[in-house]
Amino acid sequence: MAVLTVTTETDAPSRLPYPWRSRAVGLAVALVLPAALLILWWAASDRGWLAAQILPHPLDVYQTLRDMVASGELLYHTAISLRRVLIGFAIGAGFGLALGIAMGLSETVEDYVKPLFLAFAQIPTLGWIPLLMLLVGIGETLKIIIITKGALVPMTLNTFAGIRNVSPRYLEVARALRFSRWQTLRLVIIPASIPFVFTGIRYGLTHAWTSLVGVELLASSEGLGYLLVWGRQMFWLDTVIIAMLAIGIVGFVMDSGLNRTERLIQRWKRNEI
Amino acid sequence: MSVTAHLTIKNVTRQFSVDSQTITALQDVSLSVTEGEFVTIVGASGCGKSTLLRLGAGLDAGHQGEIRHRGNVVLGPSLDRGIVFQEPRLFPWLTVERNIALGLENAGVSKAEKKRLVKEHLELVGLTGFAKAYPHQLSGGMAQRAGIARGLVNRPDVLFLDEPFGALDAITKAHLQGELQSIWSKEKITMILVTHDVDEAVFLGDRVVVMSPRPGRIREIVPVNLPRPRERTSSAFGEVRAHVLQSLNGTASLAETRATAGETKPVLPRPAIAAVG
Repeated sequence: MAVLTVTTETDAPSRLPYPWRSRAVGLAVALVLPAALLILWWAASDRGWLAAQILPHPLDVYQTLRDMVASGELLYHTAISLRRVLIGFAIGAGFGLALGIAMGLSETVEDYVKPLFLAFAQIPTLGWIPLLMLLVGIGETLKIIIITKGALVPMTLNTFAGIRNVSPRYLEVARALRFSRWQTLRLVIIPASIPFVFTGIRYGLTHAWTSLVGVELLASSEGLGYLLVWGRQMFWLDTVIIAMLAIGIVGFVMDSGLNRTERLIQRWKRNEI
Repeated sequence: MSVTAHLTIKNVTRQFSVDSQTITALQDVSLSVTEGEFVTIVGASGCGKSTLLRLGAGLDAGHQGEIRHRGNVVLGPSLDRGIVFQEPRLFPWLTVERNIALGLENAGVSKAEKKRLVKEHLELVGLTGFAKAYPHQLSGGMAQRAGIARGLVNRPDVLFLDEPFGALDAITKAHLQGELQSIWSKEKITMILVTHDVDEAVFLGDRVVVMSPRPGRIREIVPVNLPRPRERTSSAFGEVRAHVLQSLNGTASLAETRATAGETKPVLPRPAIAAVG
């Protein structure tokens, strides 16, 4: 009998004997499509399927990229955009977290705030720009507000959902153990809603990044979005392509960074095989 | 064992309204439990046994009648009355030892004392070596051990157990019943266990309370005067079991005539477990 109760799966890490090998395979698979696109682009330029003014040759783009990196231009615009996003995101996510917690914990707050909030969330971020331009001009404030809004909405809604989705079974354990409100919040509600909050953070950051580029397209003299517009006006399609690549790569890096952080924080979650 | 009643349930009636219909979960139930006693409550689904347990633990209210613990009316949950649920309800984000320590969160013990008690209870339920494991790394039986440890760590006066082994396989179940019994004889804590398993009720209880459904009432209280640890295969055990089953079968046929179809499950004898003991 004793044997039966001891034989249980322990923390067998679900790893293959050579973790680097499977990771290398995963990376190779992920690169198949980008490589195919690059080949197609190369072929299209070489064979003149599209005029060089419309689709510059990959080698030309590479040359421009090297120049822009060497002159510091690309880094400068990227840094400007990143700074705006981080400030706006910090404000938006902070407010969103607070608002989501308040609405999640109090039905009174929910009743008062949620209808207006949902209506507010329905207006696309870019739809606010004309009004805001008149109110605050086209300076940094406009960009920060737009990004803040982009991060605020998903953060609030996900935090709210997280708190409302805490299992009543856990809350009953908290009651049986005579937890105070604060203990219940600290020991049950917050840890139970962290997965939702993280979803909010990821969506928030993605929204912040995309709305930044939007607002920079319309009203800016610096940043990656500006680089796009400027390149188009000058008909420097290589610059446009580089700006697009930079936007995509920065977004991708931010998202996967968050993904890693999330997994690190939630080690208690079942490892997916 | 003191003569004064430790936990008294007096004329308790509990009604729920579901879709503007009133359902009587418990009707005029009275039960008196003495200190250190092990009472098992057995009955078919819908007989109100879990409702009774939840009222006793203070997790449910709104009943008529009175429940007293050490002379005080039960008005809500208390650290003097622990509870173990059917699902262990461990917090998945905490390790086993931290889950057990939750039971001491409001006990007002020092950090060192907390550590010592958690360690002691890990040992008591046979989970030494799994202190740092997360719940998802445990089997069902081990998770329930941790649930029991969380209920016990605070040294409650009474421990309520709501079908704690209901979701386990027969072998693990029989083993854990034996362990629960030895914990009970070691710790002398009053235990009230709800189950739909007659074998379990007779194996563990000083008295077996047989309940009948719709409305939930106590049909019979069967004393089990057998020395512990009990032999499931002995003829004396078989006699008590037969008695309880007979009493239950009476309630089952009663229920069938009243119940809406498909809601009551007849309770069948479990020879498979008897063979394992």
